Amino acid sequence: MNLNSYDQLNSLEIDTLKEIGSIGTGNAATSLSQILGKAVRITLPEVRIMEYNEAIEWIGGPETVTAGVLVKMGGQLNGIMLSVQQLDFVNMVLDSMLGTHIEDYSQLDEMGRSALIEIGNIMISTFINALSSLANISVDLTVPAFALDMQGAILAVPMAEYGGASDYIMTIGGNLSCEGREMPCRLLLSPDIRSLNFLLRKLGV
Amino acid sequence: MKLAQREGILITYALGSCIGVCFHDPVAKVGALLHIMLPLNMEAGRKNTLKYADTGIRETLRQMESKGASRSRITAKIAGGAKMFEVSGSNGLGNIGQRNIESVKATLRRENIRLLAEHTGGTVARTLLFDVVSGQGCIRSYGHEDIIF
Repeated sequence: MNLNSYDQLNSLEIDTLKEIGSIGTGNAATSLSQILGKAVRITLPEVRIMEYNEAIEWIGGPETVTAGVLVKMGGQLNGIMLSVQQLDFVNMVLDSMLGTHIEDYSQLDEMGRSALIEIGNIMISTFINALSSLANISVDLTVPAFALDMQGAILAVPMAEYGGASDYIMTIGGNLSCEGREMPCRLLLSPDIRSLNFLLRKLGV
Repeated sequence: MKLAQREGILITYALGSCIGVCFHDPVAKVGALLHIMLPLNMEAGRKNTLKYADTGIRETLRQMESKGASRSRITAKIAGGAKMFEVSGSNGLGNIGQRNIESVKATLRRENIRLLAEHTGGTVARTLLFDVVSGQGCIRSYGHEDIIF
């Protein structure tokens, strides 16, 4: 069956995407551990299909400032992948890589920004690598782009680019746990709807 | 879309590539704030009219007129249409913000609505507040002073 929008996914298809999400985030957490030199685990991976307004509330309100790293996918899978980095996550990265800490995003310097882009890029690339080898497809990724702004506007990017007629968004995530601290890990995989159909077919559902 | 008569401050949060359009009729004291996400409505059946610049503006005007506003008095102010991410390469993102700006302006022209002020483009998200009585707009952005327009 061909889907026209995310909210038409049935439970088998959602389970398949959950599995992809779980493997992808697991891989992303492993590469994060390697680069940070700390054990990072992902607990409770989850896939959610949410309406845009619901997604905004879930992630913490539209005006909350956050860092976002975005990579565009091409090749056999079109769409974008977004890593939303909230302050707890940012501080874990800064502490491990640079030995610094920020109280709010305005204190983020050039080095810190660069570290966040790199971490976002590595997590997204590892995720997509896992996905493409599972589905046996080839995916091209652009260099990462970075934005530090209200998360409502950041989350609207996949909606505006690929939401089309639908108002739904797919988030893949869970909690990262590192040295006894837990923090949300927010990755958004937004394939266009044709690519989503293709991906599910490739995975045999 | 939010509509108010006589009093009220309307608000829409975190406009990125989206655009907020403030409509004002000072005599009927009717104001509306429309938040559009995409430039043109190409949906079959044209549901979700308010999500698109073309159908959204027309629908908002229609609802304002039913509250006693007059087309000849309604003016508009717009904000938004930023580019949140700069993705390099030919495989980059389409500039939806820019297309939204163009479509909003074209639709306003077609409907004979005078555009009084705009604060569009750039790379920064905006929260837009609109006072229905004075017709004044205020833009809030992260890391910038508020702008009254």
